[in-house]
Amino acid sequence: MDRSKVDLSLLDGVLSEYAQVKGSLITILQHTQDIYGYLPKEAIELISEKTGIATSEIMGVGTFYTQFRFEPVGKYLIMLCQGTACHVNSSELILQTIKDELGIDDGQTTEDGLFSLKCVACLGCCSLSPVMMINEDTYGSLTPDKTKKILKELREAAQ
Amino acid sequence: MRIVIGQGSCGIAAGAEKVRKALLNTNINKDDISITGCIGMCYLEPIVDIYDDNNEVTRLVQVSENDAETIAQYAQSGDKSLLDKLIVSDEDSEFLTKQTRIALRNCGIINPEKIDEYVGAGGYEAIKKALTKMTPEEVIDVVKTSGIGGRGGAGFPTWFKWNAARSSEGEEKYLICNADEGDPGAFMDRAVIESDPHNLIEGMLIGAYAIGAKHAVVYVRAEYPLAIKRLKKAIEQAKEKGLIGNNIFGTDFSCDFMIKAGAGAFVCGEETALIESLEGHRGMPRLKPPFPAQSGFWRKPSNINNVETFANIAWIINNGGEAFAAMGTEGSKGTKVFAVTGKVKRSGLVEIPMGKTLRDVIFDIGGGMKTDKDFKAVQMGGPSGGCIPANLIDTVIDYKALGATGAIMGSGGMVVMDESTCMVGMAKFFLDFTAKESCGKCIHCRIGTKRMLEMLDRITKGEGKEGDIELLEELCYSIKDGALCGLGQTAPNPVLTTIKYFRDEYEAHIKDKKCPAGECSDLIEYRIDADKCKGCTLCARNCPVNAISGEVKKPHIIDTDKCIKCGKCYTVCKFGAVVKE
Amino acid sequence: MINLTINGKAITAPEGSTILEAARANGIDIPTLCYDKAVEVYGACGLCVVEAEGIPKLLRSCSAKVSEGMVVNTESERVVRSRKIAMELLMSAHDGDCVAPCQLNCPARTDCQGYVGLIANGEYDAAIKLIKNKISLPASIGRVCPHPCEKACRRQNVEEPINIAQLKAFAADMDLKADSYMPDVQESTGKKVAIIGGGPAGLTAAYYLTIMGHSVTVYDMMEKMGGMLRYGIPQYRLPKEVLDKEISLIEKTGVKFVNNSKLGKDFTIESLKAENDAVIVAVGAWKSSSMRTPGEELDGVYGGIDFLRGVIQGNAPEIGEKVAICGGGNTAMDACRTAVRLGAKEVYVVYRRTRAEMPADKLEIDEAEEEGVIYKFLTNPLSFNGEDGKVKSITLQVMELGEPDASGRRRPVPVEGKTEEIAVDSVILAIGQKLVQGDVSELELNERGNIVADADFFTTSIDGVFAIGDATNRGASIAIEAIGEADRCAKAVDAYLNGQELDTRVPYISKRDEDTIDYSDREKKDRVNPKVLPADVRNKNFDEVSLGFTEDEAKAEADRCLECGCREYYKCKFLNVAQRYDINPERFKGEMPQKYSHDENAFIERNTSKCILCGLCVRSCREVMKLSSIGLMGRGFTTDVSPAFSLPLDETNCNNCGLCVQLCPTGSLTEKFNLPKQVPLNEQYSEEFVEIDGKKSSVVVSRYNGKILRVIPNDEVSRNSGLSREQLRALVD
Repeated sequence: MDRSKVDLSLLDGVLSEYAQVKGSLITILQHTQDIYGYLPKEAIELISEKTGIATSEIMGVGTFYTQFRFEPVGKYLIMLCQGTACHVNSSELILQTIKDELGIDDGQTTEDGLFSLKCVACLGCCSLSPVMMINEDTYGSLTPDKTKKILKELREAAQ
Repeated sequence: MRIVIGQGSCGIAAGAEKVRKALLNTNINKDDISITGCIGMCYLEPIVDIYDDNNEVTRLVQVSENDAETIAQYAQSGDKSLLDKLIVSDEDSEFLTKQTRIALRNCGIINPEKIDEYVGAGGYEAIKKALTKMTPEEVIDVVKTSGIGGRGGAGFPTWFKWNAARSSEGEEKYLICNADEGDPGAFMDRAVIESDPHNLIEGMLIGAYAIGAKHAVVYVRAEYPLAIKRLKKAIEQAKEKGLIGNNIFGTDFSCDFMIKAGAGAFVCGEETALIESLEGHRGMPRLKPPFPAQSGFWRKPSNINNVETFANIAWIINNGGEAFAAMGTEGSKGTKVFAVTGKVKRSGLVEIPMGKTLRDVIFDIGGGMKTDKDFKAVQMGGPSGGCIPANLIDTVIDYKALGATGAIMGSGGMVVMDESTCMVGMAKFFLDFTAKESCGKCIHCRIGTKRMLEMLDRITKGEGKEGDIELLEELCYSIKDGALCGLGQTAPNPVLTTIKYFRDEYEAHIKDKKCPAGECSDLIEYRIDADKCKGCTLCARNCPVNAISGEVKKPHIIDTDKCIKCGKCYTVCKFGAVVKE
Repeated sequence: MINLTINGKAITAPEGSTILEAARANGIDIPTLCYDKAVEVYGACGLCVVEAEGIPKLLRSCSAKVSEGMVVNTESERVVRSRKIAMELLMSAHDGDCVAPCQLNCPARTDCQGYVGLIANGEYDAAIKLIKNKISLPASIGRVCPHPCEKACRRQNVEEPINIAQLKAFAADMDLKADSYMPDVQESTGKKVAIIGGGPAGLTAAYYLTIMGHSVTVYDMMEKMGGMLRYGIPQYRLPKEVLDKEISLIEKTGVKFVNNSKLGKDFTIESLKAENDAVIVAVGAWKSSSMRTPGEELDGVYGGIDFLRGVIQGNAPEIGEKVAICGGGNTAMDACRTAVRLGAKEVYVVYRRTRAEMPADKLEIDEAEEEGVIYKFLTNPLSFNGEDGKVKSITLQVMELGEPDASGRRRPVPVEGKTEEIAVDSVILAIGQKLVQGDVSELELNERGNIVADADFFTTSIDGVFAIGDATNRGASIAIEAIGEADRCAKAVDAYLNGQELDTRVPYISKRDEDTIDYSDREKKDRVNPKVLPADVRNKNFDEVSLGFTEDEAKAEADRCLECGCREYYKCKFLNVAQRYDINPERFKGEMPQKYSHDENAFIERNTSKCILCGLCVRSCREVMKLSSIGLMGRGFTTDVSPAFSLPLDETNCNNCGLCVQLCPTGSLTEKFNLPKQVPLNEQYSEEFVEIDGKKSSVVVSRYNGKILRVIPNDEVSRNSGLSREQLRALVD
């Protein structure tokens, strides 16, 4: 998404609903991220203006919670679970597989903008470990081969 | 006939939604197909329950979308033999029959998206009874009699907290539910919200009435979108029925409900950090005193309980405190839900009365190890808890008894490990977690956990040195003493318990530069046993760095200089010829 | 009121007050780094923990309230352990130098960065005062010191080290030109100290003990004071006129000099002891060491320092046309360059390793070569061969370099059967010097034949007798080493005379890991060296080779200083607490949370790598100023204090009120001086009042050497006045 083209009018609804409700910063940021896929600087400045919360505080909150991003992410956001059960069931191998397949590290996005990789805290699907979520879908009982297959399918689907 | 598909997050991840869609595409009457939450037999998902007209249930497990036609045929013909391959085994059925379910009583049975099903199961009777027949003090009394303690982990008496919040001065009070279930390996709370949200709402309403709060808030972690969705729906339904809002059951009692989604910070499970987060701030714990009961959300008296605690309350009010207290031990009453995972054969949710043993859970219900390796230890209480070794498998589930091992009851995560798990690696895993999740406010946690992690990292890389264990211990005790909040104070537990029970493993890493479990890649080497190698070339073809060479049908060899110890050859070899040492 | 006990003392405190408040009100100091009355209680640092009877957990005294009958211990073993580890952890993540490496590498701990910075700012009188805190003969030492400071100077990682020694000589020369600085001498203590030996060690001890108010007499066997500075250093390096002036300044403080008076002949240690309260033996090492090479006894073979002394005293020995100097140190350089000046035609320096391993100063090696000295590297004398008792030639064993030895230098090993012979008229052995043992026979000596002196207290085998310098322990070393000992010895003697116990513990200071320092953004600027006489001019006379810095050269050179040491060193609360506990952060050494960084505007400088995350800046900016120009970013170990979007301070709403700077307990946020070069100085702070818009307002003024360095707003009026620092300063002036 081109930074200069951040359509701030998309925030009107969120801000009119929450800007004056105290304690709503996190909620506003969550909605903002739902809209843009990340938290654009322009949006943060607008939120600051409308809520009266300093940008340093908004950024303080934004950078505290792992959910928030400040750069656009790929079409598919891979969230690989780092929970205990996944660890015990070799999630490390899955991480390696994804890194090898996509050539990206945790927190990075592929050059074609298709995939972003993020290692996340326990997704709570421990019985299916190792687990990853790609956008809204959960994939469990992963093996390196299964992971490769999933990535391949998504790549094909995107083309 | 009704066909009910288990649709918790795990079930969906395993394919339950695909199964449901496939069933909807058959000629089965769509009205006969419905959903339920999580029954807790996660290892058998997707699960489909078929209720006949006498409400007798036939449970099908590991159903795939390809089985939809078969089920449709059965629905038409009533020929049960069609389902033979899918019906749950007697052995697996025991996973449920050996449990005692109170908090989970409706999970996997009712449709969580339909309030009528909850009401049909006796729901909202308890709040009605409390509001119309009991004073708040009487409610607190019953809770006191039940002996229930906080299910978030510490087991602090619930009645005491309620009483403190009730006694606090001020018109405006808050009742808060902590659903920021962040322990890796724990998913009890998610299951309750996804499967029985009204039970939570009812428990919270009773709590709000008891402490005199007009506002109830649920703080749910952001990683649980389905739980948030179902809880929202449940709140809407309860509002429509007048169960949330003003003058509930025609009494003076009014209470509104609000859901706040977390944004990814484990520390927000700590109550003062949770409050900071609710207020829209960085989730950094506040100093105590003052305690939330005096000054909490918006500096008003607030009471915070965990999901599972609230999930027991309606049952306690309905059945009396004595009935609850009849289960369990002297110091730990009622039941406890555990999320059993790891190397155990049957993983899932287990609710059992306090006083049972770890063996009951892991072996009797969980079926023992799923691998051919021996049971080594169980991690309880996640990053705040500790490892309990195999020789203490008969430890009774009781706050005190578990605490005596160095572990804690915790919120209910039970990660089972076999001999292939390196305990130093395990401690490192948890420290990596707490170091990442440290809010950064206090020195001990912010820097202490990082330094411990660095030390453990060195040890697992074979760079440990004499005195490291003692230094780790010193740091552990100091962090326990000096950290500001529970996250920091308990962070050393995984290290301390693994040192306590597996000191020899630490010493092997440090002195002999060996990892007895064969997990630390820097301390192991792969080699091909020439006698077993058939020369199939599979390993060589899979090696990412071309470190394996050899002619077809002749033994291969690994160039250890090139080898990056990824373990792929070990995994792919069909003849067990790759040896790890 | 509440009654409670703190550290065994019964006190009362108003109900609702915290333990910290109660303790402070009763003069009990509990350390804390994140608490300040100006902002809400935070509880991050955990240093204020105390133990209360009956309460299992440690209490954070900043928030725990007093209660009736409470029994509190603020320094229990458990409390101290907790604070110690907290400080070790905090320090392990604090990437900063308290003190610059140049100062740390100076055996006398001279504040090099301080005086270099002052010179850069043109504050020469302040510079000389600072130098004279440690060195009483700076013009001389500036000329002769092999400057270990420069060896540690980080500027060499950019191009070359700062010319620290020459800058010192420059400042001292400036001082000698006009009204020379004289220290304040304390009131007389009535105690008498005798010092044997008027070399750099003896004179330094005399100077500082005199300033302390003691009556000091220096006894020396030579006709003039100065020791090796006078009799071992050639005129062309250190003109006697400079030395004379500096010694006369020492004399002016009130030291009594007794020359031509020799230990063992004119007096004994015991005889001096009988007349004085303390005696310091600083006799030096005046005997040239032997090489144990056959032929050393021949005529024409001289000891290095004997040769130099002879030349200086006007009775130079006969050296002929061909001279060989054996050795590679500075004495060898002095000898060969003196030989050149005496008119020798062929001057050889015989050294068993190569140029790279020579211990002498590089400049000296180069200048000697320019003057015509011939180096015979990788050779070692096998024998000095004579005729009629007079040396005629040297047989040299040819060497090669082998494996590195313990010192890290490659060990020279003989190439078997390969020798060389050179014809000589004289040989000068410049391989070291030793104590003349007979002189100090009253004292216990070690196996090397040197006086045994305590490393910290300089005490000897006789009570009340101290020993320092070349005559002690490991033997001869460089002058600045002896000066450092003398300074410390003066303190030890002072404590002894006052019957006090001297604390010799070295206080903890933070040092950066040299390997992690990045110099890539530093602009290269060539080192400035003073001009020297041309080689063909200087090799014919004994005029001083160096012409010294001009003022412009000195300023330009001083300006190259990288300012390694922390400006807040003298008032760092963090360091203060660290030094209170015996900390060892090395054991927790690991990754640093922040990259060394730099952001500054006209008044405030930020360096987050020194930040200890006490949050005082962020909290005061939000709670007191309602600005929130900066905030906490990220979380956990890498939490950072920064403006939003990492903007520079100048692009935020910061109004430069300076409150964050005032509250910062360390050097992460500092207020800059009104000077081009930022120098760590022991400023004097005072609260003063000015009138702003008709309102009385408080400001904090820092002064050094009488000059205002910073003016920091200190109340709501001055913080919100919108006045610039210049305007505030004008109000104070």
